[in-house]
Amino acid sequence: MPVSGTCPGGDSVGQTRGRIFFFLPALILLAAFVVYPVINTVWLSFQTPEGEFSFLKNYAEILSEPELVDLRGFKRGFPYGALIHNIMWIVIHLPLTVMLGLILAVILRDVKGGAVIKSIIFLGMVTPMVVGGIILRFLFDGSVGILPSFLNLFGITRRTLTAHPDTALFALILGSLWLWTPFSMVLYSAGLETIPEYVYEAAVIDGASPLRIFFLITVPLLRPVTGVVITMTFLWVLKIFDIVYVATMGGPGGASNVLALQMYMYAFRQFNANAAAVVATFLMIVALIVSIPTFRALRGDEA
Amino acid sequence: MRMAGQKTSRTIMLHLVAWLLALIWLVPFLGVFMASIRPLSEISRGWWKFATFTPTFKNYVGAWNHPAAPISRGMMNSLKVAIPGTIFPVLAASVAAYGFARFSFRGRDFLFIVIVALMTLPQQMIAVPLFRIINKLGAVDSYVGLMVVHSAWGIPWILYFMRNYFSALPVEVEEAAKVDGASDWRIFLQIVMPMALPAVASSSVLQFMWVWSDFFLALILIYSPTKLLATQRVPLLRGVYHVDWGILAAGSIIVMTVPIIVFVLMQRYYIRGMVGWVSK
Amino acid sequence: MRRKILIVFLVALVAICSLPGVAAEKKLTVISGWSGPEMDAFMPVLEAFEKETGIDVDYQIYRAEDLAVLLPAQFDAKTAPADVIFMWAWFIAKHAEDGHVLDMTGYLNEADFIPGALDPVKSGDKLYGGVYTGKVKPGFWYRKSFFEKHGLEAPKTWTEFTALCSKIQRISGIKAAIASGNGVGWPLSDITEHFIASYAGPDITHALIDKKISWQDPVVASVFKDKLVPLLKAGYFSEPIEWTMAADLWWGGEYGLFFMGSWITGMVEDPDDLGVFSLPDCKGIVFAPDYAFAPAYTKYPEEAKRLLAFLSTKGQEIQVTAGGHISTYAKVPLSVYPAVDREVAALLEGVVALPDLDDTIGGEWQPAFWDQLKLLWVSPGRVDEVLETLQRKAE
Repeated sequence: MPVSGTCPGGDSVGQTRGRIFFFLPALILLAAFVVYPVINTVWLSFQTPEGEFSFLKNYAEILSEPELVDLRGFKRGFPYGALIHNIMWIVIHLPLTVMLGLILAVILRDVKGGAVIKSIIFLGMVTPMVVGGIILRFLFDGSVGILPSFLNLFGITRRTLTAHPDTALFALILGSLWLWTPFSMVLYSAGLETIPEYVYEAAVIDGASPLRIFFLITVPLLRPVTGVVITMTFLWVLKIFDIVYVATMGGPGGASNVLALQMYMYAFRQFNANAAAVVATFLMIVALIVSIPTFRALRGDEA
Repeated sequence: MRMAGQKTSRTIMLHLVAWLLALIWLVPFLGVFMASIRPLSEISRGWWKFATFTPTFKNYVGAWNHPAAPISRGMMNSLKVAIPGTIFPVLAASVAAYGFARFSFRGRDFLFIVIVALMTLPQQMIAVPLFRIINKLGAVDSYVGLMVVHSAWGIPWILYFMRNYFSALPVEVEEAAKVDGASDWRIFLQIVMPMALPAVASSSVLQFMWVWSDFFLALILIYSPTKLLATQRVPLLRGVYHVDWGILAAGSIIVMTVPIIVFVLMQRYYIRGMVGWVSK
Repeated sequence: MRRKILIVFLVALVAICSLPGVAAEKKLTVISGWSGPEMDAFMPVLEAFEKETGIDVDYQIYRAEDLAVLLPAQFDAKTAPADVIFMWAWFIAKHAEDGHVLDMTGYLNEADFIPGALDPVKSGDKLYGGVYTGKVKPGFWYRKSFFEKHGLEAPKTWTEFTALCSKIQRISGIKAAIASGNGVGWPLSDITEHFIASYAGPDITHALIDKKISWQDPVVASVFKDKLVPLLKAGYFSEPIEWTMAADLWWGGEYGLFFMGSWITGMVEDPDDLGVFSLPDCKGIVFAPDYAFAPAYTKYPEEAKRLLAFLSTKGQEIQVTAGGHISTYAKVPLSVYPAVDREVAALLEGVVALPDLDDTIGGEWQPAFWDQLKLLWVSPGRVDEVLETLQRKAE
């Protein structure tokens, strides 16, 4: 830790040195239990199982496996491969999380008992994922589940949504929305509180319709919140594992496989630590790329 | 008059939609709840059918005192991990966060961003190397080992949250104390921390929830029968050739009660912790 | 408010400090996946061992899926979570190669076991584990009362079998002729193995296990395309249902037939109402034993081996009295079995006893097999793709 000797305020050198102890506990923990294992994993991803350095060979091999990308999917339907599934997951999940969270926040602000409703919706966030997966199994099951029975009212054949290749991934995305949307709702609710009342009053006096107010005032003013929601949702989807593991194990026929689960398969079924490390490193790089804009913005605000 | 009528009907609509949404969000929980209080044969054609309704609490008793994986013991164990696993990282990260907010040194912003970036890493990627380190330290199958790992993984975001909070505090009081000759630690402990207690509460609540809900790290690091945590015991309530859905559902709900109680009691702080992502 | 938070913190601190520590005791620990009634039936075995040897034994539940995550990291660090562990045979064999498993050679006499029972945990002439009781997967179960009520009979030929399915399918209130149980995927694999053993033969089953024949070979493919797929396309099989619920629905009369292992006799209200038939022309029945091993890192290697040997021999005799299990230890007399299990054991007569296909192959192939079958069940038209994937995974 390079602590500069000249701090503003004219501190003594001894005091400045003492400051290192503010950082030490946190940095030691991070270095030992986060940074070191991560570097270890990245290093593994460049090695063959025999321990030879092979640079990007593992990456090329794994990215060409149908588990990751299965182009036949575009002709015959699911599966498309874990990578494509993760992309689909993001494409569907992201806009819905943003829209649903925003709509919920706006509606519940004006509703009596809104706080109670928010608490109910928030239950999903405090549910351990082990339990969340079990709940989803109950929800989508063809005989005990309420969702297939509900859809049946509209003439859709009652079936276990997670058992069919064409619906399994979508069912899981729906479940993930149920668990995660509360996060964006809470963020938007907090964002709404920061918009001063007079802005709305002025708009109402100008005769703006509620819809116009929503799109021309609320949405633009909440843009910073949207940025954070998008980043965090991206990270949530990248890491998605537990509910897939419990509810479908990536099936049927790989139709709901995702990267984190594929990493698990490599590591604990094939005992191929190198292949698992490739997926892990890939996930990490994407996570970093996605979150950099948010961190940039964060630093900009400080300066 | 017409305007007013329109407005009333719109208000009613809004309330209807709002409560309908609440119901939609509640329904998945109801399925598991019904499975926990009713025999399987009664719900296997849909838990929303009440032709016969024989509620019972025996599944809860069964899960609580389960002969092989008693949830009661798991709850105690989870507390033993979650409480220190909350206090320790909150302390370590708060101290460091104060450093990042108030002390300037070369590379500070860069280091801070690196630490925040660590927040984004998926835990699954480090299972094997992590186990190796903990084992070398002789802390496998001990709560100390698990607690330390949870602390390390909790630090990045607590640090981020607390730094933002400290940055927003007025610096004048601290400067005045410094002029009076108070040391950094004294200022931090006597002036800054008391002001930051709400933020400490927020990060504590969030960290507690995460540690409580964790399954993956516990699975790798804790394996003695008596030491298993609550989340680890839920899957054990089902056998290889026999699944008692009632007990499984009851066990799931028992494990959920602690986060729910914490949420209800500390809702304000929990939400503030979440919102900490946006506030600067 | 602040004071309240401070108090919460202090109370919490006091609470941790006062929590009692766990005292270490000298004990053997056994891990298996059995929970609930399965566990209740297993405990007398461990108690008998305690009584005989005076060594205390702790029991712990871990499902094989979780062990697959836990054990590699443990082995890597030269530790183990228990002294005797029930696990997939392929997993034991794989980790024996790397030196993580205690050598059991000489502790069990192969001649005392049914032929081939110990093979999956052998490597060369060394033995790396013990074999426990097995489950028989004989075929399709039905309720005798249901068959009587609708004038149905167990089929003797393939034509009769398909006719039976179509007859059941038309009974009002029936959702499908056959309930397809689904767990992580294994009940579907049991059905498929039964079809392979019946219409390709036991030799092909062995060839598939040894990877000497392709899944796309015409002999194998025809079992899928000419037997299984037509039934699936006709809708005789239900979609995969969580299998304990499937058992419930089948017993309640929503399905006519249910393919399951012999442990079903312990799951239903009235075992006497149970009837079972194998597929016509069936030449081999899967008999799948459970396997256990002692990790090389146990603190008490001699005691662990002793327990493992006990489980493989006398332990089996105690276990089978509880019902649902069939012994692999040849010295267990038929008289100790409950009546219904004696019938199951009789089913094995005249046919070849086969190992469980996916349990023997294991590795990443096993979940892939389960997963592909789940796909086949709901999209039988994609059979070519399924076979291709199975072959690719096997290579």
